[in-house]
Amino acid sequence: MKDRCDVLVVDDEPVVSDAIRLVLGHAGFEVTVVFDAETALTHPALDGCRLVICDLMLPGLSGFDALKSMRRRRPELPIVMATGYATPEQEELVLAAGATAFLPKPFDDSELLTLVRHVLSRAPAAGEERKP
Amino acid sequence: MKPPGIGTLAILGVAVVTAAVIGVMSVIILRAHQGAFIAQLTRSADQLSETIASTTHHDMLENRRDAVHREIVTIGRQQGIERVRLFNGTGTVMFSSDEAEIGRAVDKRAEACYACHAAGRPLERLSIHARSRIYRAADGHRVLGMIRPIANQPGCWSADCHAHSRGESVLGVLDVNLSLAEADRQIARDQRNLILLAVLAIAASSTLLWWLSRQLILRPVAMLIASTRRVAQGDLSTAVPATARHELGDLARAFNHMTSRLNEAQRQLAQADKLASVGRLAAGVAHEINNPLTGVLTYASFLEKRAEHDSETRADLAVIVRETKRCREIVRGLLDFARQTPPRRLPTDLNEVVRRARTIVTNQLALAHVGVELELAADLQPVPADANQIQQVVVNLLLNAADAMAGGDTPAGGSIRVRTSAVAVPPRGHATIRSATCPKGCDLLDSHVRLAGVPAIRVIRRVMDRESVVHLDPVYGRANHRASEACDEGVVAAYLCPACRTRLEVPERRCGECGAPVFGVQVARFGPAEWCTRKGCPGSRWEVLDAIGPQPYAQIKVEDTGRGITVEEMDRLFEPFFTTKGARGTGLGLAVTWGIVEGHDGSIAVESELGRGTRFTLRIPCQVLEPSGTEARAGRSVPMPDARGESVSGRTAPIAPRTPPHPAEGSQDGSRGAS
Repeated sequence: MKDRCDVLVVDDEPVVSDAIRLVLGHAGFEVTVVFDAETALTHPALDGCRLVICDLMLPGLSGFDALKSMRRRRPELPIVMATGYATPEQEELVLAAGATAFLPKPFDDSELLTLVRHVLSRAPAAGEERKP
Repeated sequence: MKPPGIGTLAILGVAVVTAAVIGVMSVIILRAHQGAFIAQLTRSADQLSETIASTTHHDMLENRRDAVHREIVTIGRQQGIERVRLFNGTGTVMFSSDEAEIGRAVDKRAEACYACHAAGRPLERLSIHARSRIYRAADGHRVLGMIRPIANQPGCWSADCHAHSRGESVLGVLDVNLSLAEADRQIARDQRNLILLAVLAIAASSTLLWWLSRQLILRPVAMLIASTRRVAQGDLSTAVPATARHELGDLARAFNHMTSRLNEAQRQLAQADKLASVGRLAAGVAHEINNPLTGVLTYASFLEKRAEHDSETRADLAVIVRETKRCREIVRGLLDFARQTPPRRLPTDLNEVVRRARTIVTNQLALAHVGVELELAADLQPVPADANQIQQVVVNLLLNAADAMAGGDTPAGGSIRVRTSAVAVPPRGHATIRSATCPKGCDLLDSHVRLAGVPAIRVIRRVMDRESVVHLDPVYGRANHRASEACDEGVVAAYLCPACRTRLEVPERRCGECGAPVFGVQVARFGPAEWCTRKGCPGSRWEVLDAIGPQPYAQIKVEDTGRGITVEEMDRLFEPFFTTKGARGTGLGLAVTWGIVEGHDGSIAVESELGRGTRFTLRIPCQVLEPSGTEARAGRSVPMPDARGESVSGRTAPIAPRTPPHPAEGSQDGSRGAS
């Protein structure tokens, strides 16, 4: 099941992506991590994943641009935008640009899991998660 | 060389015009005067010649030549009479007061005869003007000559002497000459007097003009120029006295309006700039810190759940999770502060907040050998507050206290005392005016000028025609006002809005202390606040607050025995990026504290004594203060307790901030440092 991917994480901070991988991995999700938007947009996992968690501030192409490109490619895909600079204005902007949810950093494991489960439960292609 | 000023040019212009007008007038007057004088003399000469002619008539008829001669000589010797003579028809001098010329023939074309004989025909009747002439005598003085033809009469040709035949029409001519020397002297005197008067008139009008232009134009213009220079140098609190009712007064008022607007704009700009800086910093900090915090929080919370069977580890991890979440709240608070977001106020036990704050800093303080003693009031009711924000304030105050005790000359170590209590705070002496507008709505709060740390209320005081800027103490009942110019005690002054110059006096209202008129400002939601117009009178009134009465507050005092705070530091204590800790401080701690206290409608006061210690007093209202309405609006007169302001060392009055960042409140009095 190597090519299977439930969640694609786009974040240039390894400490963040590793933490997400740990929490979601333990919850039974297959997590793929990339560190920038360009890689994410060309990664095969983008076409097969059920959820994207993408940071807003990325090196090179911004998370905002990545969000718009991903939304064009997969209109139904749940996309969660995470940011360390969370203001109501940012949230409004991101949701207006097509994000499914807004995730202010820092978050703990249960906040992350709750959000992911909530978003997936409402997605059209919501599938079953595997128990470890 | 400096070109001549407007006053000099005006004076020169008016002097030239005045000189020309007075000069022409003088010439006309002198000529008229001279003409009238000569005319009068001419008439006198004519009368004289008439008198001589009639006096000598009978002697002539009876041919008494000696008698005629005597008479003519006698008359000719009188003062002012130059000469009297009589010619016969052929021009020979028959009689003369100048006996030497008797018998001489006079050329008929000579001046005395010219009037009649010029046209070669003798005239019988000539006008008085034709018979008179003025000429210069040998010695240069002027002489008025008057001739009188002596007509042939029946008595002349029928007389026994038979000297004249019947056919002659003119028998001779009487020529009277009067000296004009005295008249000319008189005219010269008049001329001199007139010129002197003209010069005096020109000098007087020039002096008057100079004085008027100096009073009405030059001085106001000079003041405007000086003020413009001060504005150019950045002093926007400049105000020009604008009492004149004419155009220069309008100009001064327009100038004052302009500078006050400029001042306001600059203030807002500076404020916006500072806030923008805090915002940028907060954004940067938020982004940089939140990523590592995500790692810590996620791993810690993940591990906490997995350490089900190891309660010790689980408790440790819980601390990490809790404190990381607090960090998250602090960063959010910083962002909120930068964005001026109100706190989430829920019923909060401040004792619990203080305990948690101590737990958080215990280790850090232990390193500096600083302990924390708590004295928590058992009767402290929950207050509406954002627990995280207040905890942040207390942690911040504790860390500052520890820093103050660790550094400097005082030996490291000691104890910080934190006391909580429930207090009832009366409005007088404590409530702070946080917004002030004139009747037309101009903002009067001046966040640039702070009285003991609190933004003051800026008004213009006018005594006679002198205006000065007065910064009113915004703490109700305190009177540490500050003025740009001194004013005698007891003087009743007029007060104006610096921006629109509306008078601030409240009609029909009198000071409860001395009976003088009062002036007031509008406080948003809390009605008018008023002060006595008499200098030195402590009378003041804020009816809405008086009607509300003492309010319950939860109070937290944090006292250290550190190095203390200097007056200079005190003034800037709450400014963002101001720090006394060098590289170790961010300069944001107390600025954030200020924002938090402001968000809670609370107050924070500082007392400090160098080398002895500092005490911060934090007060959070137990309920959100609202005007009680009915009683206050009914305009009930509230007796005013004694609220005499002491000199400028505000000791314990709170700061109730509204406009961030900055303010400090404090004193350096030696008697009461925290211990």
